[in-house]
Amino acid sequence: MLDLLKIEYKKIIPYTTFWVIFGLFFVFTPIVFYGVGQFKIEGFPIDFSTMYNFPNVWNNITYIASWFNLLIGMLFVILTCNEFNFKTFRQHIIDGHSKTDFIIAKILLMTSFAIFSTLYLFIIGALFGFISGGSEGFASDNKYLFIYFIQSLGYMSVGLIIAILIRSSAMSIITFICSILAESIIRALIPDAIDQYFPMKIISNLTPFPTPDGMIAEQMKNSMIQETMSLNTTLIIAVVYIFIFWGISYFILTKKDAK
Amino acid sequence: MTAVLNINGISKSYGKVQALNNLVLQINQGEIFGILGPNGSGKTTTLGIILSVLNADSGSFSWNGKEPSKYDRKKIGALLETPNFYPYLTARQNLSIVCKIKEVNESEVDRVLSIVDLINRANSKFKTFSLGMKQRLAIASTLLGNPDILVLDEPTNGLDPQGIAEIRAIILDLASEGKTIIMASHILDEVEKVCTHVAVLKLGNLLTTGPIQSVLNNQEQIFVVSDNLDILKLTLSQIDGVSNITQLGEKVSVMLAEGKDSAYLNKSLFDKGIIASEIGIQKSDLEANFLEIIK
Ligand SMILES: Nc1ncnc2c1ncn2[C@@H]1O[C@H](COP(=O)(O)OP(=O)(O)OP(=O)(O)O)[C@@H](O)[C@H]1O
Ligand SMILES: [Mg+2]
Repeated sequence: MLDLLKIEYKKIIPYTTFWVIFGLFFVFTPIVFYGVGQFKIEGFPIDFSTMYNFPNVWNNITYIASWFNLLIGMLFVILTCNEFNFKTFRQHIIDGHSKTDFIIAKILLMTSFAIFSTLYLFIIGALFGFISGGSEGFASDNKYLFIYFIQSLGYMSVGLIIAILIRSSAMSIITFICSILAESIIRALIPDAIDQYFPMKIISNLTPFPTPDGMIAEQMKNSMIQETMSLNTTLIIAVVYIFIFWGISYFILTKKDAK
Repeated sequence: MTAVLNINGISKSYGKVQALNNLVLQINQGEIFGILGPNGSGKTTTLGIILSVLNADSGSFSWNGKEPSKYDRKKIGALLETPNFYPYLTARQNLSIVCKIKEVNESEVDRVLSIVDLINRANSKFKTFSLGMKQRLAIASTLLGNPDILVLDEPTNGLDPQGIAEIRAIILDLASEGKTIIMASHILDEVEKVCTHVAVLKLGNLLTTGPIQSVLNNQEQIFVVSDNLDILKLTLSQIDGVSNITQLGEKVSVMLAEGKDSAYLNKSLFDKGIIASEIGIQKSDLEANFLEIIK
């Protein structure tokens, strides 16, 4: 198993795109997070002054970083499509891997990506928290980091299916982005009671718009909360979706020829 | 002799195209087995199936009598159709990934790069390679771990004459160590120069298979020249043990029965009053035989 992951990193450490996208993530997450905190408008219902304090910081940073999570999803789509474009997927089979090895390697890779970005958010969040105030509340609400980790896996699992189905990087990335948009359009036509279970909705709801106590005016908070199901339910459904996506990916791959 | 590969009635179609039709083949240890056939005859499809890259519609195959598994493939060096590597990685980085997959020692990389004469370019990126260099790297990759079985799909594709000669030498060298080599080609000359056995495919059907001499009817032919070809042909037809009298331009070619040679032919002609201005031996026209088979 560990060998499979080692091979994955042998492939991507010399790959420029890998560094560029993770670089963007590492650089822009704290910059944007800092920038949002400088936002001051008279009468705006959101109070940003406590946004870096523990425990608010965990929900806030994971919400901001969730936008960059799509970027990592895209990187994952590119890396998987490369295996088909370069025909290295086919060559790996010829050389002595199985299709199962391929899927396991990709799952290990996405898990490692999710771990790296979550650890990074932990570090950035902790820095902001300690700098802006005391350590009080440091340990509470850091479930948001775990939830962010699952969201990251969720996007990459959707990316895995898309890449395996479509195989060309350009088309896959377009589909990846459109699947988010398309779902919102379909959702508009379907009653809320059903559409809240749609996969992309579930995954994006994992990092909900932050509503920690005291940060947002009560009336605004109430209007936002009623449509969302509890975070724990969302989390469980998301995990189920991720396993389903992995299963479907495996199924598609084994049925088709390794072209 | 032990069968290295058994193919039992494999069929495969792509939509309406029947690429392989109930193929049965046995390949034994130490054979250099050529799969010969025109473009689109199913050679790559056959190799793709035995390498588990393509799923057959029906039929089965076995390596060394066992159910196929990835562990067999780790011990087979195989090149299918095109060299497949990461363009942004160097030759060495690419081969080191293959070493990991095949679970062989990384020291193999330099050894195989030297064999194909790419050691000086070991640190160049794959995308900077010429077509022939890419092909050489693909051949090098098949040699990693010194496997007992090699599967090569058009191994000399894109190589210069020197490269072609080198690859043939490598193949013959490996064969002399008792390795089994399965090679697809549409180049008759290539198969004839290296293979011990051959199977001929056309439109997914196996036309014939066996040792190369018997399949390609690789016997000697005698050609004769004299001033009057019509009289010569008539006379030849009266000589015992002469067959297949055909006129090829200014020459007449014949086939002689076992035990008769050109001296016998010359004497017989002389006895009948014909002076041959030239008598020579040539190998039978492989190409003509091949074209005859696939007609
Ligand atoms: N992916 C595919 N989709 C549809 N048809 C295919 C596919 N691959 C091969 N074929 C068809 O299957 C038949 C056999 O193809 P194959 O590649 O096995 O031939 P080949 O003997 O290797 O030819 P060549 O000498 O040109 O390499 C051809 O008719 C081809 O068009
Ligand atoms: Mg072919």
